Amino acid sequence: MASIRLESITKAFGRTQVLNGIDLDIADGEFLTLVGPSGCGKSTLLRIIAGLEKQSGGDVNIDGKTVNDIRPSRRDLAMVFQSYALYPHLTVRQNLATPLQLRDMTFTERLPIIGRLAPGYSGKRAAIRDAVKNVSDTLQIEHLLDRKPGQLSGGQRQRIALGRAMVRDPAGFLMDEPLSNLDAALRVHMRAELSALHRSLGTTFVYVTHDQAEALTMSDRMAVMMDGEILQLGEPDEVYQQPMDIRVARFVGSPQINIVTGDMDDDGRIAFLGVKLARRPSDGTTGRISIGLRPEHLYLHPHTPGKTFCGELVYKENLGSEVFLYIKVADTEDNIIIRVNPTEAQSIALGDETHIAHEPGKALIFNDQGRRITLAGSPLGEDAA
Amino acid sequence: MNLSRSSMWFVAPAVFLMFILLIAPVFVAAILSFTDYSLGNPDFNWVGFKNYAAMAKYSAYKKMFSASLLYVIIVVPVSVLLGLGAAMLISSLRFGGEAYKAIFFLPVMATLLAMAIVWEFTLDPIVGVVNAYLTRGCDVGWWYQFISGAWYGADPTTSWYGNGCNEGFPLWIGDKDYALFTIAFIGVWQAFGFNMVLYLAGLTSIPRELYAAAAMDGADSAWERFKLVTWPMLGPTHVFVITITSIRSFQVFDTVEALTRGGPSKSTYMMVYAMYEKGIQQNLVGIGAAITVVFLVFVLALTLTQVYFVNRKVHYS
Ligand SMILES: Nc1ncnc2c1ncn2[C@@H]1O[C@H](COP(=O)(O)OP(=O)(O)OP(=O)(O)O)[C@@H](O)[C@H]1O
Ligand SMILES: [Mg+2]
Repeated sequence: MASIRLESITKAFGRTQVLNGIDLDIADGEFLTLVGPSGCGKSTLLRIIAGLEKQSGGDVNIDGKTVNDIRPSRRDLAMVFQSYALYPHLTVRQNLATPLQLRDMTFTERLPIIGRLAPGYSGKRAAIRDAVKNVSDTLQIEHLLDRKPGQLSGGQRQRIALGRAMVRDPAGFLMDEPLSNLDAALRVHMRAELSALHRSLGTTFVYVTHDQAEALTMSDRMAVMMDGEILQLGEPDEVYQQPMDIRVARFVGSPQINIVTGDMDDDGRIAFLGVKLARRPSDGTTGRISIGLRPEHLYLHPHTPGKTFCGELVYKENLGSEVFLYIKVADTEDNIIIRVNPTEAQSIALGDETHIAHEPGKALIFNDQGRRITLAGSPLGEDAA
Repeated sequence: MNLSRSSMWFVAPAVFLMFILLIAPVFVAAILSFTDYSLGNPDFNWVGFKNYAAMAKYSAYKKMFSASLLYVIIVVPVSVLLGLGAAMLISSLRFGGEAYKAIFFLPVMATLLAMAIVWEFTLDPIVGVVNAYLTRGCDVGWWYQFISGAWYGADPTTSWYGNGCNEGFPLWIGDKDYALFTIAFIGVWQAFGFNMVLYLAGLTSIPRELYAAAAMDGADSAWERFKLVTWPMLGPTHVFVITITSIRSFQVFDTVEALTRGGPSKSTYMMVYAMYEKGIQQNLVGIGAAITVVFLVFVLALTLTQVYFVNRKVHYS
């Protein structure tokens, strides 16, 4: 069991600043996901927690103790690597036993033949055998124990890597994109399995991914990182529905949120593509604004001035249970994407002119710095249009 | 002409060249080893296994085998371990690695024959710097005490160094007890830079994440990480380096020819030098060919061992 607390962690490689003051409180037993685009510093942060990399500034606390100067193996954390990093010359059984041997057996006990003479040798041996057996039962990998990593499929290697992390019964797990080398179906399956594992172990998981779907499905809380900063930290629903930064809104959600630019008239009312919102910014913001509209909050609607905008259907993406329509709207750079059900999609053909309305209260407004703007008289985002 | 016929015409030139240039010479050597042929003679007699029997009988050839084997047994482990050590030190450097690489690689690039002349001067008993400095050290009190073991109470005159001071230092390549070791030393000096480069390549191919995994798993000391990651991951490199170094050591010739000519009293009479002396200098082609065949058998055995290890053990699959 471990709570992990990061206090203004910074990291620079030479002159490149990779992390700019990360503060993060990870509760005991929590599944926290660090998510962000490639190169934002997720792995670096995870390696700093593990102790594999030394931070340039700031403190890492585990269970209230500062561990800045404690070596990785003494932090009682286990790590699962993207490449699995199994020892290729050892069998699966030996791979699983290695962390225990290194932790529990003395140098002499680990010597090939002399070790057997050491007192306590056989007891420790048996304990390690039992631990390996337990883990391989849990993960259902008994039949692989005598193989070498080279003789396993990617998914099997992934399980072994997980097993090697579990066998020490660590206080926390650090995982760096453990699923990214698996195929799509297996990845979805492993997502469920990892969640189940987290529930049954009850230990802290810090999980790094650049796949927002993994973050949304598995985590208790997710931290969206970009350019070495945490932009937003919260429960997946909250991050998805109430992004506080336009970069977060763009990153989380697939397909991406639609962003259109809007104007504010002298009266402070917001208008975009001929649609007017009823509410005004509470803080009297002026200047360029951006409006974010998720595909599921847009729908086809008969032409109504002031309420709908129109465009031409250029592409239908059929996912079976739902269809995404890509609509070219004059004055916007990107196509507007809306989600409809398959029957609705059949009623409209490529090239047709379509009219679109948005669900009232769902538009997300961002100022010219990309920060979220609250609208007057209502909590975040609830702008009855 | 059908397809398979025409395809034969395409491969014929390559097969022909391969046969003439690569396979035939070995056959010719094998055949000559059963004759008493001399270059220039119009014909020759078949002598059966006489040449091979001679190799088993005369002490010169026994010395040839023992000198060659001893040379290989010294040069291979020492130059392999030194190469590995140097590679690990260099790869752990933050800067300056390139300079070290170039310096250690110098002996590999330099012609051994030219270098042999430098060694000849260095080791010369009269004018060479080695013995000059050893002799001068006899008069430097603390150095003499230190080297001769007097500091822990031994009698300095019984030590190697004390003895050298009194009786004179070895003649190195002129002394049958020292010549082979001196040649082997030069062999190591020459070979380890090459092994170092091979090991450096091997080290860079070890995934960094394995070291991170080892650190997480509790391999806290450098030795543990070496044992768990570096050494096993270098498996394919070990096999290659050891095989190449063994073959190259079996082939040692330049230093012997330049420094000792197989002497003194055949103590450095290595195989390739023997081949050269018999087959070329003395024009005893038959016995030279027989040595060549035995030599090839050794090399083939080494190569097959390598193939075995590469296939069996070190590819971890
Ligand atoms: N050892 C290093 N030396 C110099 N720069 C580094 C080093 N390691 C990482 N970086 C840089 O730090 C930045 C963050 O790297 P990091 O590996 O943490 O990214 P990431 O968020 O994990 O990306 P990805 O999703 O691609 O794994 C990158 O710009 C990278 O180039
Ligand atoms: Mg990464």
